Amino acid sequence: MSAGLLYLLLLKATLTSFSGLSSMPIVRDELVMQYGVLTDSQLNAAVALARAAPGPFGGYVISVGYFVGGVAGGIAGWLALITPALLAIPLVHYVARSTAHPRARSLVNAVIVASAALILAATVPIAMQALGGAALIVIAAGSAVVLAVTGVDTVWVIAASGVAGLLAASLGAPL
Amino acid sequence: MNQKLSARALARVFLRNGAFTFGGGDATTASLQRELVTHHNWLSKHQFGVCYAVSRLTPGTNLLAFCTAVGWTLLGLRGALWALLLASIPGAAVLMLMTGFYGAATGNPWLMSAIHAALAAAVGIMLAAVWALLRGPLRRSPARTVLVALPALLLSLHGVLSPLQVLALAAGFGLVAPERGAA
Repeated sequence: MSAGLLYLLLLKATLTSFSGLSSMPIVRDELVMQYGVLTDSQLNAAVALARAAPGPFGGYVISVGYFVGGVAGGIAGWLALITPALLAIPLVHYVARSTAHPRARSLVNAVIVASAALILAATVPIAMQALGGAALIVIAAGSAVVLAVTGVDTVWVIAASGVAGLLAASLGAPL
Repeated sequence: MNQKLSARALARVFLRNGAFTFGGGDATTASLQRELVTHHNWLSKHQFGVCYAVSRLTPGTNLLAFCTAVGWTLLGLRGALWALLLASIPGAAVLMLMTGFYGAATGNPWLMSAIHAALAAAVGIMLAAVWALLRGPLRRSPARTVLVALPALLLSLHGVLSPLQVLALAAGFGLVAPERGAA
């Protein structure tokens, strides 16, 4: 399969979804069922790899692209991932110009509160999957407290956690 | 720290978060909220709310739409393109490498231990971001904040409504019941 066709098929999936993995049914239908260029186990591996890598879970389409077409396929997957985001430009341009009115500001304030609740709701399943032991719970709680009470960069918190994970592995008790 | 906004400084923020934040789009959004709103004061909470809502309305990956919206808000088209590229390229490169070395990556206990610890830290980052977003509204009008946040949390947590529907409901509430002195 050419990288161009792969890009268009993956773009069809990303353009018709509104969150990371919701594009998967279309990806499976096109690449596994119709074209037969991807296996179900490769699709599962792509999802697992995206969860273990930095960035959005929707990045699994990059792994899918790589499995199908090597580096060129991976680049096609990356392009299919980023293309829909360009639609945010006209949207934010329009919405930002319409929020000067007090009622519109009240609307945005309510959206901010709801967005905090949505982030909290998204944290629950991630926490249930990620915090499989006392040491990991301590790392999560410690990170939250450090970030809430200090001005330290999140990158340092993640780096320190990664070092803790390496130390634990070196002591024969990987996290 | 309140570093002056420049294309280079903004690029550093997106590059760093794109390369090092594990836990998916919500964790990275939380991390960016901390850097852009709390840490650098480049983005107001109001602008954050607009960008967040727009990112949910945009097809595709919410995080990348959020980064594009933030880049556009702060530095126009140049900012949007930089944000989109720098937020996505590091993770894409890591993911392609991991896919290329699939067996070795998932079979290495040292690497997986470090990734598990980083994922735990991402949970902490998300909780801290929630606190940063709610602290002000809770102080300003606690009852109203709970009235919006609690149903939003429960409806989303139980899968009754999609995030987009939850945001639409909150927006509707903000519109028909305007907050006194909304600023």
